[in-house]
Amino acid sequence: MQKWICVICGYIYDEAVGIPAAGIAAGTTFADLPEEWTCPECGSPKESFEVYAE
Amino acid sequence: MSTASAVAGRVEINGLVFNPYSKDFIRDPDPAWQTLMRDYPIAWHKDLQMWLVNTHELCDKVLKDNRFTPNFRAWEFAPPSKAEADKNDFDLSFEKGFFAVTNKEHLRLRKLTMPAFARPVMMKIDAKIHDLVENCFNDIGNVQEFDVYEALASKIPVRSIARMVGVPTDKEDFFHDFAVNIIKATRINLSAKEREASVQGTLPGFAYFKDLIHERRARENPGEDFLGSLVGANDNGEKLDDHEILSVLFALITAGSDTATDLHTFLIHGLLTNPDQFELLKQKPELMENALIELLRYGSFGKMPFFRFATDDTEFEGQFIKKGQAIGVNISAAWHDPVKWPEPTKLDITRRMDGNLVFGAGAHFCIGTYLVRVQGMLMLKEFIKRFPNAELVNGTGDIDYEYTHHNARRINKLRVKTNVKAAH
Repeated sequence: MQKWICVICGYIYDEAVGIPAAGIAAGTTFADLPEEWTCPECGSPKESFEVYAE
Repeated sequence: MSTASAVAGRVEINGLVFNPYSKDFIRDPDPAWQTLMRDYPIAWHKDLQMWLVNTHELCDKVLKDNRFTPNFRAWEFAPPSKAEADKNDFDLSFEKGFFAVTNKEHLRLRKLTMPAFARPVMMKIDAKIHDLVENCFNDIGNVQEFDVYEALASKIPVRSIARMVGVPTDKEDFFHDFAVNIIKATRINLSAKEREASVQGTLPGFAYFKDLIHERRARENPGEDFLGSLVGANDNGEKLDDHEILSVLFALITAGSDTATDLHTFLIHGLLTNPDQFELLKQKPELMENALIELLRYGSFGKMPFFRFATDDTEFEGQFIKKGQAIGVNISAAWHDPVKWPEPTKLDITRRMDGNLVFGAGAHFCIGTYLVRVQGMLMLKEFIKRFPNAELVNGTGDIDYEYTHHNARRINKLRVKTNVKAAH
């Protein structure tokens, strides 16, 4: 499981957690998010995300 | 009174419909915003000489549409470009900054700088600025009344940013002037003369920060703090040059100092005029971050809209926008759009804030969003701890505004009755 950061706003998508409130189950990989999915914080497209290493 | 007319299909309004400089609007903006959203979701403002986009839906669209750039140089009335040899540090930093570069270059800049702005890093800033916030409250002491603007709002933002970028506290005024001049240097609602005076006013600040950057570059390790992380930023061998770093400071200062002044006054004003929500926040401090965003939405302190400029002749929502024309993205109105926010003038700190535009949207989403949240939450926590029974003096806080502020409906007087026992 990886974490991904939106380089526009800093929002972090954690695959282990998902976004249950938005119907994205824990364990959903970033690659499995729909292509039209956008950052829930700033609305940027998927290509604005990078793997986030803490 | 409607002043809409259909000149070649163009919906037009004037200052009778929306006058952001009027005292009535500054004191009570919601009626004008509701009129704009209901009757003129998009219109050409003849007096302001710009398009105004007013609803939540349209503001969101414009902010995410690359045909509309925040680059002031794309404005039809922008000053002509200078020869390379005549460019000063302001010009060079602006050219390399987030608002001016191409989309590809913008993404590169964001990638290089985001590590310094990411939530985990910003949450650590909490420890760095906590004492600054505490000291402001220590200075207030055990008084019966105090002014939020004087005691908190005029001090916390500029001191926080100064601490973050490594400016000593004795340079606070110098830093504050730099911050205000940076913001005013590209405000299209100011005259060319005022903008140029502001540009000149930024130059000592740029020189100061260039020296700091050079000092860090000379070190073996540039440091782990904010400035050090920018100097050391590296993406596959790519680094930030001096003016790129200065452009980031430019963005940070714009986002985090003058604007954040209004954060503090409006947070306290919003809570104390809604005692039930103040009580709820005291009982449920876990709502703090959501409350902060809702308080910003509710208070909606903007006076002038965000500016965008059309990069080409373009049709948008049935209107023809010419290349170079300014578009005022009226997000302050959008924060009160009843279509998006039921009962928009009601403060509800449990409200779901999904899809909000409080920090903008799209590629130019506010880079300082987490810094602002940290700063606001620290202040609110301390306020609640020290003055849990606070009220506004005379029910209104004897509120007053700086009516001539260039950008915000700035509250410059808000008196709080602390209801603490006097020290003996």
